[in-house]
Amino acid sequence: MTNSSPIAQDFLTRGRCETCPVVDMHGHYGPFRGIYFPSPYADGMLRAMDRAGVARVVCSSHTSLVDPERGNREMAQVIRDHPDRFLGYRAVNPNYPDQVEAEIARFPHDAGFVGFKFHPSGNCYPLTGDNYLPALEYAHQQRLIVLSHTWGASQYDSPEMLGEVAPKYPDATFIMGHSGYGEWDAAFGVARDNPNVYLDLTAAYKVAGIIERICREVGSQKALFGTDLPWFDPYYCIGCICFSHITDDERRNILHRTADRLLAPFLTGSQPPEGKQERRGSD
Amino acid sequence: MRFFDCNVGFGQPPNAAATVLRTAEELVRELDFCGVAEALVHHTAIRHESAQAGNCLVVDETADHARLHPTWAILPPQTHEFGTVHEFLADMRRHGVGALRAYPAEHRYLLNGLTFGSLFEELVPRRIPLMVGPHWAALTQLLADFPDLTVIIVGHGDWGDDRYFRPLVARYPRLHLDTSNYQTPDGIADFVGQYGHERLVYGSGFPPFQMGGALLTLARADISDEGKEAIAGENLRRLLREADP
Repeated sequence: MTNSSPIAQDFLTRGRCETCPVVDMHGHYGPFRGIYFPSPYADGMLRAMDRAGVARVVCSSHTSLVDPERGNREMAQVIRDHPDRFLGYRAVNPNYPDQVEAEIARFPHDAGFVGFKFHPSGNCYPLTGDNYLPALEYAHQQRLIVLSHTWGASQYDSPEMLGEVAPKYPDATFIMGHSGYGEWDAAFGVARDNPNVYLDLTAAYKVAGIIERICREVGSQKALFGTDLPWFDPYYCIGCICFSHITDDERRNILHRTADRLLAPFLTGSQPPEGKQERRGSD
Repeated sequence: MRFFDCNVGFGQPPNAAATVLRTAEELVRELDFCGVAEALVHHTAIRHESAQAGNCLVVDETADHARLHPTWAILPPQTHEFGTVHEFLADMRRHGVGALRAYPAEHRYLLNGLTFGSLFEELVPRRIPLMVGPHWAALTQLLADFPDLTVIIVGHGDWGDDRYFRPLVARYPRLHLDTSNYQTPDGIADFVGQYGHERLVYGSGFPPFQMGGALLTLARADISDEGKEAIAGENLRRLLREADP
């Protein structure tokens, strides 16, 4: 093997890298209609995380994408059970505006949620639609993270649509789920042009050459490790990162540094970025 | 582990891609980067230009690379584009081609006994592996018609296709799966626990897939070292040893 990366060597031979923990910024929870998961619950997810050295995963439950009240309650319990390993995105379903308001009202009362999960394609509702506005306003006011599913050429959540929304809420942090899969140039442009937009590698990582392009054209400090766990084995994404033609410094940025920085304001006892902590989670 | 990748290609695709490997030399460099010993190879032209061009190019351009083993596409025998079935098999022998690939969508045919009966009746006793993408309905009928055909399903798994392939794996002992897109957490261990390690073969799907994803997933799978060695390369080596064009 001519890949001389010490990080790659560690993952290959030991299964984890003690000097490079992993933070997964795009997870889910529980069974899903169209796929067999051997391990869809916390015990199995933790087993996969432990083996690969994944310190923490930020999740939305699959149920919450359909029924936010039930699903977010499920996710809150998982976070209570495993506060050091699980954080959450509170999903909102824009097709039921009253429920969006209810989820915003509940937000300060459940620990461990770092922001909102949008799945415009799954809910067949455009990311630019009015029913997302209350959650976007709240995320901006409270300096929260918004992870939105994005996909190339989608009528609901294309990279351009995120590029339309993100500048209006500069104090919110936007994670472009799947990096606008397939519409790479547009997605990279949105991430470059907006300081508050980051690229999530979930699923995108497997496209040969994409990680190199992100590092070259956007910067590794704007890319985040993600797996859709329990969909995808953390080792698959880690393997794509380890065997990309990038530097170990870039690998560390993707695997944990940028996520550490984004999550710092939400972690008890951590040192938040300047000016972020005072407004988090308050009404 | 001595990795033997069953599913890699090279050649210029028609559309822009993040990674383009135009030559076999470039592919060998990537295999070296990832520590992969050898590979079953196709030329990109096989999908995007023509089966005829791809079959010729892969033989010509891998001739100087003992680690690269060419694979060919099949076409319906009735159109005689590769001569008779026996001429096709003789050409395989002459050019050292040990496995075949089917592209029913790109090459526009029905992958069934009506179309390929005369070829598959020859492939079965010769144990020549046929590599096919996840065309589940076609595969289900194909295996019902030719239960002893050696098949490797490649590239399955974006949404975890276990519900499709497990019934087939349970019924047809000559059916195998590559691991190029088998990303389900605990998927390999769960599969091996049920069916043993003989039915999986390592593949990366490179390109368009990144080579390292499937590699690390297998290297760190929660199965025995013997099982990893088998999936990484020994199962494929065995299948190719058994094949007799």
